[in-house]
Amino acid sequence: MKKIIWITLIGLILSVQLYCQELKITGEMWNRWTLENGKAPGDSSNIILKNYFSLERGYIGLEPKFSETIKGRFTVDIFSSDLIKDGAGLKLKYAYVDFSHLIPVPDLTTTVGLQKVYFGTIYDWSYDLIGKAPSDEYKIVSSSDYGITFNGYIPKGWGEYALGFYNGEGYKSYGVNLKDNINPSLLANLRLTPIQGLTLGGSVMTNSSERNPLLSNNSPNPNYNDQLLFDGLLRLAYGPVDIWIEYINKDVKYAKDFSHKDYTANCLSVFPTLKMAKFTGIDFALLGRYDRWNETDNPSNPNLLNSITAGLNYNFMHDESANPAMQLQLNYIVKTYDEDESSSQYANKMKDSQTLLLQYKWRFNNTIKL
Amino acid sequence: MKNKVFMIILTLVLITFTALAKTNITCSGSTTVLPIAQATAEAFMNALPEINISIRGGGSGVGIAALMNGTVDIANSSRPMKAKEITQAKSKGIQPVAYAIALDGIAVIVHSSNPITNLSIKQLRDIYSGKISNWNELGGSNLPIVVISRDVSSGTFEVFNEKVMAGAKVISSAQLLASNNAVATTVSTTPGAIGYAGLGFLSNKVKAVTIENVIPSEKTVKDSTYKLARKLYMYTNGKAKGAVNDYIAFIQSDAGQKIVQEQGFITLK
Repeated sequence: MKKIIWITLIGLILSVQLYCQELKITGEMWNRWTLENGKAPGDSSNIILKNYFSLERGYIGLEPKFSETIKGRFTVDIFSSDLIKDGAGLKLKYAYVDFSHLIPVPDLTTTVGLQKVYFGTIYDWSYDLIGKAPSDEYKIVSSSDYGITFNGYIPKGWGEYALGFYNGEGYKSYGVNLKDNINPSLLANLRLTPIQGLTLGGSVMTNSSERNPLLSNNSPNPNYNDQLLFDGLLRLAYGPVDIWIEYINKDVKYAKDFSHKDYTANCLSVFPTLKMAKFTGIDFALLGRYDRWNETDNPSNPNLLNSITAGLNYNFMHDESANPAMQLQLNYIVKTYDEDESSSQYANKMKDSQTLLLQYKWRFNNTIKL
Repeated sequence: MKNKVFMIILTLVLITFTALAKTNITCSGSTTVLPIAQATAEAFMNALPEINISIRGGGSGVGIAALMNGTVDIANSSRPMKAKEITQAKSKGIQPVAYAIALDGIAVIVHSSNPITNLSIKQLRDIYSGKISNWNELGGSNLPIVVISRDVSSGTFEVFNEKVMAGAKVISSAQLLASNNAVATTVSTTPGAIGYAGLGFLSNKVKAVTIENVIPSEKTVKDSTYKLARKLYMYTNGKAKGAVNDYIAFIQSDAGQKIVQEQGFITLK
């Protein structure tokens, strides 16, 4: 299997070189140490649950430029961790082509293939904290999916927008995990920057699970559900201070009430950053994050999570645009579930945890002119 | 009493250091704007020795990214900022303000021995996309055309691409060079070559052809009859203040514009 993957990769690189005028090669590696404390089942005292080193992400990308208006992106994620069966894995993250003049609208790009999902903050989440974007963390949407999008920028810097048609299943799903659904997922995203330092954004996305509301014998399918997802975003940036505030709402409606009941879940996330470079001359930043994930309305998995993260980033090896090639991140995350609002598996605190993460990220890129 | 004396000494030391400290201005970006920035900075620093200006090239995109990252005071650019760049800058709390500092024409140059004197935009596009590959297809000698272009991070490339290529792909055999000087030098030593560079980089070693029968000159750039004309910019975060404002105002002044002209570029007025 590995041979086939490598032969395919090499074949793709060689064939791309024949047709493109420029090829950018990118890489980004996340080497991480994780130390997690929590309560194990049947043990009321805090113990070390996880203590391991891993390569959490190993993105390798090819970005061929076929012409000034047609560009591609192909990214695989090669990762390695003790927690994974076989110790390593490979996922296809992106495989898309951008056409920038297909529709004669200034700054509009039509993107086809396995690509970003333009919902909330998931598509430009820069991992300044080690944790994922809220909509990714709480499994609201996938960070990439197969489909076609029309995405672009409003002239004069007023903002950006996207309209998308996706599978809705995401890039990680396979086999029994697929939702076996024939309806596409629809997305609309708008972000406005009316003045410097103020960004207002909103996304709406529809999705559904299972193939059909009705089973073959015309009785209602108990697992079929329609989802309506909303995201509201406020970003305030002034000098060294940058604050993201995001609110996400997920409405799930089943075909008919059986064991599953309709429910609504929501998330509030506040993510402030204080950049210290101006004060100290050293490129480091202090970061924090507070998440409140409320899924108490979901009868099959009620839980109310409060999550607090404190972080420190040290950036070094900057390029000529002052973008760092290397980053050292230290995060401490405390997750606490509300006993009264969560089900028994949460209420006995089995899922409360304190996690220390130390991550060393390094990235590289090089453009080959062909 | 001891505390008072200490505070007075400390204040005096701080005042002395402040007085002796130089005001630093940093700028980076376009290699086209680079000679203007260097020459005007030299004159400005001669007049005001307490100000130090450091200038780097890298290309317009590099300068704009550095302005967004807050590491330079001025981004030099040979093209207007794109909607994407302005949006990203504004969302990070950066308000890019453009100051036009000069005008420029992108001159299309050939080897001095080449008999071709005029090209249309379409012919130029066909040459750069590979549809025309020999000078004899344009009435010239039987000589293969050697296409010289700028690298993609350059604002000159982006302007040429927008005004000439209109979405067409530059032929893969084109040599992509990192500076205007490199283009001019390569064209001057390669008989079949064609290239493009800012007017300031023209010399008698290469021949500039007319475009749509319009010669690249001060007059045709100013009256916009020359199709490959553009403005050169300096971008700051918010309205320029203090020494940065003084420096830009100097470039835009008569004295500064005289230097612009000496560097081979075209004055704003």
